[in-house]
Amino acid sequence: MPNRDTARNLDDAIRALAAARRLPESHLARWLAMDEQSRSVFLELAGAIRLRTGQIVQALELLGEIAVREGKTSAEILAAPELARISARAGSAPEQARAFIDALRAIRFPRLRQAAERLEREIAALRLPRGISIVLPRELGSDVLTICLEVAREADLERALAVLADRRAAIARIAVMLGGSDEI
Amino acid sequence: MKFDLDAVIIEQDERDSPLARRVLAALAPGVPVQYVADGREAARPRPGADPFGAGKRRMVLLRRRAPFLMGCPAGSAQFACCGYQVMILASNCPMDCSYCFLQEFVADNPAFQVYSNYSAAFDEIDRMIHSAPARQFRIGTGELADSLAFDTLTGLTRDLVPFFAARQTVTLELKTKTDEIDHLLELDPRGRVMVSWTLSPERVWRTCEHRAAPPAARIAAARKVLEAGYRVAFHFDPILAYDGAERDYAALIDNLLDVIAPARIAFFSMGGLRMTPALKSAARRRFPADPMLLGEDVLARDGRLRAFTPLRLRLYRILAERFERAGAPVPGYLCMEAPSVHERVFGATPPNPATLGARLAHGRSPVDAPKDSRQ
Repeated sequence: MPNRDTARNLDDAIRALAAARRLPESHLARWLAMDEQSRSVFLELAGAIRLRTGQIVQALELLGEIAVREGKTSAEILAAPELARISARAGSAPEQARAFIDALRAIRFPRLRQAAERLEREIAALRLPRGISIVLPRELGSDVLTICLEVAREADLERALAVLADRRAAIARIAVMLGGSDEI
Repeated sequence: MKFDLDAVIIEQDERDSPLARRVLAALAPGVPVQYVADGREAARPRPGADPFGAGKRRMVLLRRRAPFLMGCPAGSAQFACCGYQVMILASNCPMDCSYCFLQEFVADNPAFQVYSNYSAAFDEIDRMIHSAPARQFRIGTGELADSLAFDTLTGLTRDLVPFFAARQTVTLELKTKTDEIDHLLELDPRGRVMVSWTLSPERVWRTCEHRAAPPAARIAAARKVLEAGYRVAFHFDPILAYDGAERDYAALIDNLLDVIAPARIAFFSMGGLRMTPALKSAARRRFPADPMLLGEDVLARDGRLRAFTPLRLRLYRILAERFERAGAPVPGYLCMEAPSVHERVFGATPPNPATLGARLAHGRSPVDAPKDSRQ
């Protein structure tokens, strides 16, 4: 029964990696519950880009959620071009691992990613000078924009306030977008 | 009765209560009945794969040892609240919505409990009325239980409706996802009783709202109680922000307004799906294949997972605008949202909870200001 042997070897390899990384039992169980091809593809990838324990946990959770959302297996999700090319591209393993998790999150939260990118572009278009920054709420989890000013002297403050006054309409537009305008 | 029961358990001291007698008289043959000294023990989770789900099929009739009236448990200083008063006549619900907060809230006592000494609630209400005779109150029974599920068995509305019909400053809100309105149609509410339905698009009903009536049946039931003299209101809560939600919720409102004229709707409310991380874990454990539990939710400032802000607020605006264009103003409010969100959606900061509660009880618009400050 070569197929059964292959599966056993695959699961042994997964258990060995999980033991080496001290992966929580619940996440090992989640990995082993995948179909054979998904188990295998994820093992290969986890080894190739040297995912750390926390990243394996994150990846398993994201893969599980994407699978339910999109009705796909993990192997099908991992075949997406934006994920498949990560292990092939230049860069250190930690960089590749971070890029992989980011790409998985973008698949899990597609509209959030789009909205955040759109807002970031609007903020970049303000061309704010050094010492003034506009910070979006973390993961767009609220409707509050944070404006940070770094000032050492009164003149810095006056300059910063003048810049903000000049960009007032554009900043207000970003606040409106954050509140769910049609542009998001 | 449309919901199955595995057992009815009655507290020994309550076996001759009117509620116990009514339940036993209407109970389907073959459902075992058991008597216990303390119903609270019978309400605890029992070992099994799904203690919460099993609890829904075990009705416990017991005496309530705590006050029946309380402020809405969803209320908080960080939200603009609606002044809703909650009357706890029952706990848990025979329907099984995958997103339901009860999965966390009553996890430690999941049996479907109905309180046999509920007439004590009427005394509490009368004391409340006397303490603030000029104030209008809106009191609901649908926070920890569906107000009408099992009404064919318990007959609670036969006592509730006449009680509220006889009082001028309290409005009863019966909140439901069922079409169990038979008893209501036999009673005269005299304008003091409102029946409200939680409405969701067909896709949400099919995926999440197990054993609830289909949306079209809820709307049809609303039309019937309206014609019988009840006021009606609708809760779009939770709103699920899935792909296509904008179109589905707009179509749902169109379907509603085709059946019920906007001028005859007392109010509508909206609230995006919000789950504590613990609730999400519980819900995912019970409904692992439900994609609706996996929206683009992020941790919000209140520690709950909610659809990210621009998406959630966009949905609110789409629904609010649909009602605004309906031809007659339908008052609306948001549940568990900050005042700034109300202002963005409705163009004005909501009044304080007592004022808003009184206006909703009365059927007046929750907001005064014109809508030109919306952003």
